Amino acid sequence: MASEARFHNLEWALYTVIFIVISSVLLGALARLVARLFRLSGAEQRKIFWGFTFAGPWIIGFFIFVLGPALASLYYSFTDYQLGQSIEWIGLDNYRALLLGEGRQGRMFNTSMLNSFYYALLGVPLQITAALAMAMLLNNELPGIRAFRMIFYMPVILAGGPAILLAWRYMLASNGGFVNEAMRKLGDLFFVFDYLYRLFIYGTEAFNGFYIGIMRGDPLGPWKYTLPALLAGLLLFALIRGEWSEGKRVLAWRGATIIGIAVAFRLMSKGLMAQPIDPAWIYAGGAAALAGIILLAHERRGLARLIQVVTALAALAVGALVLDRAGFDVASRESVRYLVPLGLVATALGFSAVGPWTRRKSAVLWAVVGAFGLIALARHAPGEMGGDRLEVVARYLTFGSTIETKTDLDYLQTAFPEWLMSATWFYGLAVAVLAGIALLGDRWPRARRALSIGAAAFFGLMAIGSFLDGRAYFGAFVDLAEATGKTNYHFAMFHQALNQFPDRTRVPLWMNSELWSKPALILITMWSSGTGMLIFLAALKSVPRALYEAAEVDGANTLQRFLKITLPMISPAMFYNIVIGVIAALQTFEIIYMLQTPLTRDSLSSAAFLLYARTFSELRIGEGAAMSWILVVIILTLTALQFRYSRSWVHYEA
Amino acid sequence: MATQTQTQDINRAARLDLARLTRHGGQRLRVLLLYALLLAGAAFFLFPLVWMVGTSLKTIEEVGRSQLHLLPAEPQWRNYDKLLNEEAFYRAYANSIFIVTIVLLGTVTSVSLVAFSFSRLEWRGRNVVFALMMSTLMLPYQATLVPQYVMFHELNWLRTFNPITLPGFFAGGAALIFLLRQFMLGIPRELDEAAMIDGANPLQIWWHIIMPLSRPAVATISVFLFVGQWNNLMMPLIYLQKPALYTMPIYVAQKLNLQESPLPWQDMMAASVLFVIPVLVVFLFTQRYFIEGITTTGTKG
Repeated sequence: MASEARFHNLEWALYTVIFIVISSVLLGALARLVARLFRLSGAEQRKIFWGFTFAGPWIIGFFIFVLGPALASLYYSFTDYQLGQSIEWIGLDNYRALLLGEGRQGRMFNTSMLNSFYYALLGVPLQITAALAMAMLLNNELPGIRAFRMIFYMPVILAGGPAILLAWRYMLASNGGFVNEAMRKLGDLFFVFDYLYRLFIYGTEAFNGFYIGIMRGDPLGPWKYTLPALLAGLLLFALIRGEWSEGKRVLAWRGATIIGIAVAFRLMSKGLMAQPIDPAWIYAGGAAALAGIILLAHERRGLARLIQVVTALAALAVGALVLDRAGFDVASRESVRYLVPLGLVATALGFSAVGPWTRRKSAVLWAVVGAFGLIALARHAPGEMGGDRLEVVARYLTFGSTIETKTDLDYLQTAFPEWLMSATWFYGLAVAVLAGIALLGDRWPRARRALSIGAAAFFGLMAIGSFLDGRAYFGAFVDLAEATGKTNYHFAMFHQALNQFPDRTRVPLWMNSELWSKPALILITMWSSGTGMLIFLAALKSVPRALYEAAEVDGANTLQRFLKITLPMISPAMFYNIVIGVIAALQTFEIIYMLQTPLTRDSLSSAAFLLYARTFSELRIGEGAAMSWILVVIILTLTALQFRYSRSWVHYEA
Repeated sequence: MATQTQTQDINRAARLDLARLTRHGGQRLRVLLLYALLLAGAAFFLFPLVWMVGTSLKTIEEVGRSQLHLLPAEPQWRNYDKLLNEEAFYRAYANSIFIVTIVLLGTVTSVSLVAFSFSRLEWRGRNVVFALMMSTLMLPYQATLVPQYVMFHELNWLRTFNPITLPGFFAGGAALIFLLRQFMLGIPRELDEAAMIDGANPLQIWWHIIMPLSRPAVATISVFLFVGQWNNLMMPLIYLQKPALYTMPIYVAQKLNLQESPLPWQDMMAASVLFVIPVLVVFLFTQRYFIEGITTTGTKG
């Protein structure tokens, strides 16, 4: 059988060679004929003949294997072609189904795009960090460094094939696999390691559970997340890049904050399973409300200030209206419960992160600190302060941590560890953070900003977590849930993961769990990030030593030298690696093929893998062609971005 | 030759560096720390490979025990014997070697012809065609994957080696053409001019002058092609569809579908080791092309 096939292949190889030779010569002759028509000299004609004949294999191949198929693919993408059946033109139906997530194929495509998004968001930065660390390590000229370079690069060669991936799969076996066994052993030896490892498990499971909740719950497809998130990413990128005026920086911060919080609102709306309401309404409302808050937080004077306040109030009103339209009853205490504390925290944080630091800001922040402190005191010692009123206020402001309403998920009792949810902690933390920010003030703007961001992330998570199952808080949503009969199951994994801190026997389940399949893939891509390492190495080598020496003379420490010299100087390589990494994330195939199990296939699948798995098993050519064209457009856009902006966005040595 | 002196230079620089670094106590500590990190990294990167070899020499009982035991009590070479006597393995290996050979022959020949045309021949329209070729570099393979399948289906070429081997004959791989062209541009022009005056035609110049001088670059693209083709999983999966035609990547990947319990990981790892060896050997001998190639061309500009 096999030998038969080989003879068959050899036979066709011979035909192919004959075909290529004849058609190349014909192409050359044709080119010569054209040259003669243009009355070129004899020598020119001969040159053209030989040139085209020699380039013939590629030119002919281009028509047969590139141009023809690409056009055919474009045509198929507008049809419902299935192999062996007639072709019917259906216009944009394929694209619509895929982009809007309609039907099974569309849902699968959305899932794999969200997976790729995850890899791009989490995997690529990790991979690049690993590659940069490796490159910096290998950039030391020590004896034997070449051997190390070779060893560090070797995984790239191996990871392209299935064999080493098979070994990885075995090593990552959840029960008794080497990785888990070794980690447990280390945990037994060092209790600090054990605790950190469990913290890692906790964090990973919670994060992935949350991500899976987003993926499963979204009724509108991924594009509404992907787009604002991409914009936010671009803004952040612009922010990281230096040499911006303060005004631009403020603008970028504000934009990023608005988009980030708007996305958070979107997540909330989804978590609230308010299916009858278009979540976009809540999204828009939340964005408008927060735009108002943030605009208010920015410091200006005179007429501009007045206009700003009016605009901000209008935005707040619009936000309230939209929220109202979406089913919130703004006047009700339920809504006040979350609008007030979130507004307070957001204002304080917005104050500290946006714009220059002023005395008035300090004053306002101290006032907020005082208020929070007072409430914390009241919450902590209700007996002494007496008064139902204070206790009620405190309840509102603790996101209801003391409310005893039973929900079907018993969220309040389980979602957060008891200690984290207790008012003492919460308010203590809030007071400490805000006071810290206020104290830092002008002296350490960087630390202040870092603290603001950290606190924003914490309080944001806190708020989102409460909202996700916030039916105890919002009467409207309880009614809604009862009316529609829909429960919030999308985030079940998230809650489960958040519910308990892993005990000592817990291990990552890798390929046996949706929560761990993506981290497993990222681990392997980090192992084989040698290509990025080489690119960084080349970039590092081109950084002039004189720069470091000058900095050393000026008294810059290692970290400063890294941040101020190395990073800017290798930014082209960084940018290149990011783009290449994102493209690779879209095209991942081998690792997924080798790691997938029936349980984790969907949570691993990339667009390229889906193209293989669906198109070539079900032979739905039309849909496959549309899918590949969406992929092609994304990749070409990224490539174009790389070419267009690598020069102007990043620092190049003059 | 140039690379050899370069190597010596680098070694000398490295020794000087080390001497400078170790002069002071603090620096010595730094060097030690660097080596510790390098060794830890090397262990991390080599580990799966070492572990693969270790497992392939275990007995099935040992496989069932804790994976923390890296090496078997006694190497079980039987695992390899068994594999070498297995027909499916043998066939897959032969198929892989066959395919790689055909692809290498066809692709390297056609690529070198086209690169020759783009670098050594002067003809009108060359730059346009070359720019067109470079632009195809940006096009991801997904753009043509589906219709190519339809085309090979229409040609009745599914379940044959043709879809995998023959496209390469049409100078497949713009990157390879570019790499070879860049090298060929560096060969002194006087050589072909002299040959031309002696009455040689371009085909003779290509074969007798340019090809012998381009040997390093041809070797480089051969290595790239070899590694890529040897590891290639997707194309064989799409087109071969028949156990008799399976290549090694599919053979290894298929092991995942085994229904046995416990899974015979020692056999699977033995197959993996035999699969990896050719790539690893080629890499060890040519790693300079990979590493220096990327490091020196870099990404600048």
